[in-house]
Formats: sequence, C-alpha cells, structure tokens
Amino acid sequence: MSAEDSNPAATPTPCVDTQGDGRWMSLHNHFVSNSKDKEPDVLFVGDSLVQLLHQFEVWRELFSPLHALNFGVGGDATQHVLWRLSNGELAHISPKVVVLWVGTNNHGHTAEQTCGGIMAIVQLIKDKLPNAQTVILGLLPRGKMPNPLRDRNARVNKLVQEAVSSLPHASLLNVDPGFVHSDGSISHQDLYDYLHLTPQGYQAVCQTIHTHLKGLLEKTG
Amino acid sequence: MSGDEMNPAAVAQAVVDVQGDDRWMSQHTRFVLECKDAEPEVLFIGDSMVQLMQQYEVWRELFSPLHALNFGIGGDTTCNVLWRLQNGELDNIWPKVAVVWVGTNNYEHSAEQVAGGIFAIAQLLTSRLPKTKVVVLGLLARGERPNPLREKNAAVNGLLRSLLPQLGQAQFLDVGEGFVHSDGTISTRDMFDFLHLTSAGYRAIAKPLSDLLLQILEETPEERRASLV
Repeated sequence: MSAEDSNPAATPTPCVDTQGDGRWMSLHNHFVSNSKDKEPDVLFVGDSLVQLLHQFEVWRELFSPLHALNFGVGGDATQHVLWRLSNGELAHISPKVVVLWVGTNNHGHTAEQTCGGIMAIVQLIKDKLPNAQTVILGLLPRGKMPNPLRDRNARVNKLVQEAVSSLPHASLLNVDPGFVHSDGSISHQDLYDYLHLTPQGYQAVCQTIHTHLKGLLEKTG
Repeated sequence: MSGDEMNPAAVAQAVVDVQGDDRWMSQHTRFVLECKDAEPEVLFIGDSMVQLMQQYEVWRELFSPLHALNFGIGGDTTCNVLWRLQNGELDNIWPKVAVVWVGTNNYEHSAEQVAGGIFAIAQLLTSRLPKTKVVVLGLLARGERPNPLREKNAAVNGLLRSLLPQLGQAQFLDVGEGFVHSDGTISTRDMFDFLHLTSAGYRAIAKPLSDLLLQILEETPEERRASLV
C-alpha cells in the first residue's frame, strides 16, 4: 500500500453529483475538450478562487496576454484536482507553467494531509509535463476574525514551503498582500464573504502572480 | 397557503458553522449593521445569485444608483433567508422594493415546498413592510444539459406565478429567457459553472430587472410624499 492510499487528500477522487445536474463532470469534460485546440503557456488549476478569477477583468488584463487557461472548479479539494489532472485535463497541452491554488476546501483533512495532497498534484504534473514549472499559491486566510481554518491554512503553507524547498520544478508563492488587519479582521471589501476575493482583492493578489509569471516565462523562453 | 409548519422550506433556520470560520454569521451580522445607517430604496435578498451580482460592474452601473443593498449569501436556502429577515436584516430600513432570489439551493425540498418557502418570504416582507413592493425572480435553469433540477426549478416558477398574485404587493419576474439554447444546452459564456452567472449573464438579467425597478420606483414617489405629510 502506497502512502497516497492512506491519505484521502492525495487519492484521486471525482466529485459525486449529489445535487442532480452533473455540473462537476460537465466542467471536467469541458476542460478536457477545451484543451484540444489550445496551446496555453500557463495553466491555472484549482478551486473557486481560480474559477472566479476567470470572470473578472483582471484575467483579461493580466493573464489572457500570457496565453493562460483556467481549469478552476468551485468546491474542489486536492483529491478532486488530482483526479481531474489524472483524467484528461493535461492530456493535450504543454504549458510552461502550472499555477496551482487548492487546499482551502480540504475540510476534514489535517494540514499534513492537505500538504500531501498538494504535493501529489505537484508530482503528477512533473510526471505528465516534465519541463513545466509548478507555482503553488499560498492559501489565503479566511473568516472575518481569527479562527482554526486560518491556522490550518497557514500551517499548510508552511509545510508546502518546506516540501518544495528542495524541488527545482516547484515553488510556493505567497500572494497574501496583508488581508488581515491589525485587529485580526478581514474586510469584506477584499473577501466579500470572508473567503472569496472581490475584484479589488484579486487586483492585489494578481499583481504578485503576474510579476512572478512574467519572470518565469522569460526564463523558459 | 396552509400548513407552513409542515413545510420544511418555510421554517426559518440559521446556517450551522460546520467549516469552522463562522462566515455565514459574520455576513449576517454585517448586514444587520448595514441596516442601521443605510436608507436603501431597493433591498436584494437571496443566495449566491444575489451575492455575486455585487461583484460585477453591472451592480455599480444599474443598481448602486438605485440605492440598493445586497443581502445575498452563497448557499442560502429559503429557510436561511427567512431566518435572516426575522433576525435583524429588516430592522430600520424601509425600501420601496425588495427583490427576492432564492430557492435553487433547496436540494432537500420538493418544488411545492420550495415555492411555499419563497411565498413565505414574500408574505413576511409584505407584512413587515406593507408599503414595499416585492419582486420575486424566477429560478434559472441550471446544468449543462436537461436534468431534474431544471424541471424542478421550472415547476417552482410555475407555482410562484399562481401563488404570488395572492399578495397584492408581490409579483413574479422571469429573467431566465434565452439561457437554454435550442439544443437544450447552457453555455459557460452565460453561466461559468452551469449555475452561476458570468458578467454577460448578469447583463442579460439586469436589463429587465432594472427596467422593472425603475418603473416601480417612479410609481411610488407620490405615495412616499403623502406618507410624510
């Protein structure tokens, strides 16, 4: 039995359609077929924080020019992204950079398990795209005031940072511009429901990502 | 509409914090606080369909100028909206119009129950705010292809069309026209995940809605002046 089997966060798992309209699978199939005629230099993959980014102007301004594709699905945890990437979403594309943002939805998993899930995705990307760089975005704080999920997300980031420190093909990028104020609160102007980013929140986060991506893309040529 | 106690979709219920960061209550508390200072002419209440609208340009262009408040919370069912309205989100505000958009997240309830829950919300609004007009938006189709939830949402809409006229101040507005193509599919250009609207999707629904709101707001000034005498 491999290590992955004992970590649910690192075991590829499709989302079960409990609601009744098959949207998760529709989106996955959509991404697979979408990738057949695109040649992205950058692939964004992850949860709603990735998915919602695609809906705002900032995507068109900063990432469309970099020939980026967006494979974000709201609600996804690491095991769901792992399944999607193992089942066709990387089959027809060779991006130079994969931006991975996932982990905040791994409810019920420990920080260690979540880190394991993220690292399993990093390994999968390396196997399928040997020449690609993976940029893991740090999990953002959440909730209006300090709470256990903030601690958990911070711990995931710390564990991931340690895990990638020896890897030439992956790195952790901290994109939190300082959302937590001195009184410990997060503003709804940045995270409208204390989890998802407003367009204003995305501007700050995306500047950091964009600068980093430009640097990477210039290196890979 | 009898037997509301028997209709689980018409029972007020707060969301329990299972994730651990108490975000639902934080949002509710913020809305109650907003009621203290705001003097909205339009109140939007509902689920993520309402909440997300505020993040797009269309809100600033069409609804902010109408002095609109947005009390949408993602994931909310009719039960959650009922609880919020009964627990402070209507305090100290006298909007001319309340726009209600909720029901698509009522997974455990039948179409009849969901329609009853939405009706209960409209009833609560008209009894708390007798001068306020209530506009109930129809539930949109969802999913990439035909599926049971589309049928259910359509059934809810059908029931609302006949129920709402019972409340003189309430009306039903169907904004779902055109989202389902002739082949039965919904495009990600309109709903990026076959449920939530894109910027283009919101533009399509915002036009008939803002037209109706402008019409209602233009009709009411005389009443308001009369009430101040």
